[in-house]
Amino acid sequence: MGRATFRGGIHPPTNKWTADAAIETLPVADRLVVPMAQNLGAPSRPTVAKGDKVKRGGVIGRPDGLISAYVHAPTSGAVTGIERIVDASTGRMFDAVAIEPDGEDAWADGCNQRREWTGLSAETLRKTVAEAGIVGMGGATFPTHVKLTPPADKPIDTVLVNGAECEPYLTCDHRLMVEQAADIAMGLRICLAATGAQRGIVAVEANKPDAIQAMRKAIEGLEGCSLEVLETKYPQGAEKQLILTCLGREVPTGGLPSDIGALAQNVGTAAAIADAVTKGRPLTERVVTVSGDAAGRPGNFRVRIGTPIRRLLDRAEVKDDFEELLFGGPMMGKDQFTLDLYVKKGTSGVLVFRRAAVYEHGPCIRCGACVRHCPSYLNPSRLSILGESFLDGNLAAIDDSLALGLMDCILCGACAYVCPARRQIIHLVETLRAERRKALQRQREKEQAQVAQLKREVEKVGG
Amino acid sequence: MAASQNSSGTSSDRTLVVGHWPHLRSRDSTAKIMWSVVAALLPAAAASGYFFGWRAYLHIGLAVATALVTEAVIQGLRKKPVTVGDGSAVVTGVLVAFCLPAQARWFVPVVAAFVAIAIAKQCFGGLGCNIWNPALIGRAFVHVSFPTDMNPSTYPILAGNHFVGNVGTVGHLPEGIQAVTSASPMAMLKQIAGQQWTLEHIRTVLDQDLPSLWNMFVGRIGGDIGETSALLLAAGAIYLIVKGWVRWQIPVSYLTTVAVGALVLPLHVVAGGEVQAVAGWHPILTAAPDLAARYAAYHLLGGGLVLGALYMATDMVTSPLTNRGMLIFGFGCGALTILIRLYGGYPEAVCYSILLMNTVTPLVDRWTQPRIFGHPR
Repeated sequence: MGRATFRGGIHPPTNKWTADAAIETLPVADRLVVPMAQNLGAPSRPTVAKGDKVKRGGVIGRPDGLISAYVHAPTSGAVTGIERIVDASTGRMFDAVAIEPDGEDAWADGCNQRREWTGLSAETLRKTVAEAGIVGMGGATFPTHVKLTPPADKPIDTVLVNGAECEPYLTCDHRLMVEQAADIAMGLRICLAATGAQRGIVAVEANKPDAIQAMRKAIEGLEGCSLEVLETKYPQGAEKQLILTCLGREVPTGGLPSDIGALAQNVGTAAAIADAVTKGRPLTERVVTVSGDAAGRPGNFRVRIGTPIRRLLDRAEVKDDFEELLFGGPMMGKDQFTLDLYVKKGTSGVLVFRRAAVYEHGPCIRCGACVRHCPSYLNPSRLSILGESFLDGNLAAIDDSLALGLMDCILCGACAYVCPARRQIIHLVETLRAERRKALQRQREKEQAQVAQLKREVEKVGG
Repeated sequence: MAASQNSSGTSSDRTLVVGHWPHLRSRDSTAKIMWSVVAALLPAAAASGYFFGWRAYLHIGLAVATALVTEAVIQGLRKKPVTVGDGSAVVTGVLVAFCLPAQARWFVPVVAAFVAIAIAKQCFGGLGCNIWNPALIGRAFVHVSFPTDMNPSTYPILAGNHFVGNVGTVGHLPEGIQAVTSASPMAMLKQIAGQQWTLEHIRTVLDQDLPSLWNMFVGRIGGDIGETSALLLAAGAIYLIVKGWVRWQIPVSYLTTVAVGALVLPLHVVAGGEVQAVAGWHPILTAAPDLAARYAAYHLLGGGLVLGALYMATDMVTSPLTNRGMLIFGFGCGALTILIRLYGGYPEAVCYSILLMNTVTPLVDRWTQPRIFGHPR
């Protein structure tokens, strides 16, 4: 019998070399630089200044808007300044708090205390999660408390814990499930309590039998909870594809999982929720997979947020001759142009490759492979051709591509993976999206200018 | 830039290569696909010398060389990168030569390949942009330009001991060759469809005038260079289908439609023996059930249908993108083919049916666009 799965998708080589490497906790680095841009949405605002003393778990950044999150000091020590650093997700410059650890690693007041949570209201649970600065740790970094707060008219009936980890190379979620299954199960229970959902599903790809076993044991006896073994296929862990596989429901276009009563949390997020609610520990550390052919000793490392990447590379015995540095997996990870980067809440993997993957792209030969493999049932060939025509000056390409589902693309890259012409499909889709944003912005500015112009004229006449 | 620890010994001015995700690509490439198609065509190409002598190799060589030179020159003139190494011009060259009879004069393959690349492919923007299958456009061009070369009255084939013998050119059959003196099998079938024949006559044609089905299957029949050996063409195509570079949808729906059409479409059959009193339209299934299967098999194996269904109609560039679209496309090709064969003006139907369906490919693509994820059903 075939495993549960979705239509489309690809089977890249998994290269999970570190699947059996136990998580190794690294000592706190000599210097931590905690980025403020750690979540989807607005970056946090630093609340400390040079010279301030901080303790582990103390707030150093507060949310700036609704879709934003708290940032906490990853260890105790002194703030040496607010620096501008490159953000690994966007390549732009953002603030970061540099901390010189004092070596004591002392927790702030009120943190790291065992807490009873079973009687707490959903409201209190969500508040605890928000105050712990938890964001989606699979890489999307969407603030978790926002996810846990669905609109009142859209109740959530099922919480999915996403242990698919379909990206090649990455094994941090896999190891977490093997080593901390109980924490993940606790996180699931808390999510159920915080949302009022009746059903919990832990979803794991079939290529992680030890994780399946551990998780099955951990959720044994939990009412309404079950484990789903999924086909090993990329992008099985993408939120929409995961929900479709487990529940047979499609997130409507432009909508959110809450529209169909579902909520998906990464296993790392679930463990972080358990840490925050039952142990009073804000999110100050995470597991990072360091791998790639340039890593002499690839592994899974538990490090503090703000740990310099160089330290991880050292630890994994990365030789100096690598050409490519990647944050995340090879399918959706972002290439980096500098080594002055620091671990963030969403840093699931750091991959280093001796030879950079550079592909010559050619014209589309209409083989249709992208259409067959697209998990969103789009026509990536057409979108990429429209993207090229836009670059050649066809401004109508934006509207044409919108009609073809430009905004429904999940940017998973399955189309580009199978493309024999090695076309830059995702790049072109992103270009079209960026141009659409710019066009909307121009439109807004134009309308505002017109309104202002009208006002002036009315005043002139009136005056 | 912030002061950075240099603990890993990496210099901060090192160059890191940055590209857009995905950073992982499959091993397939355009060149790999095209050269695989060439490889799949090689057995049939090699066998053409066995059946038709060295002129077959001459034609293939001339067509391929012309295709390569034309592509390179035009890409040079357009100031585009020259991509003759990707094998697509070679595929076109081989396919063009496959559509020509071995006794055509030497410049016929040259003209056909030139038209295929220059007009049908590069004029539309090169690889991936052409609307019609270049090889078929090349064939259609020489078909109207050099009708005597393309429709010889006799199709000579060589006996086994003349492996690389010369079949000569049109009208100059040299001594010592084993010639099929009648018209091509397709023209014979055409006569069945076009005239008011009695069942006995149909039986005689199938039994005596047409080559045996086995000979048609292995390719020991008169015809164009590459369209004779269904066996070798199918072997190559199966390799491509297993590799996933040719989709089964088009050949299966194409061949099925032709076979079903041959069985159920009515023929003008004269019933009642000598007296030509009662003339009626009958499907061959009711007119001569015992002959039906053989009659359909002749339709499948004759007239370049195998080459067309397996290699021409499945050309990625000019066929639809979606699986459903491919089924529709194959059906359309099949329906047009059998209609032209039974009721149309001349016996060769495959080329023009595929070209006509190429024309509607964008429309088929539009019709068969899948529902996007999350959109209402």
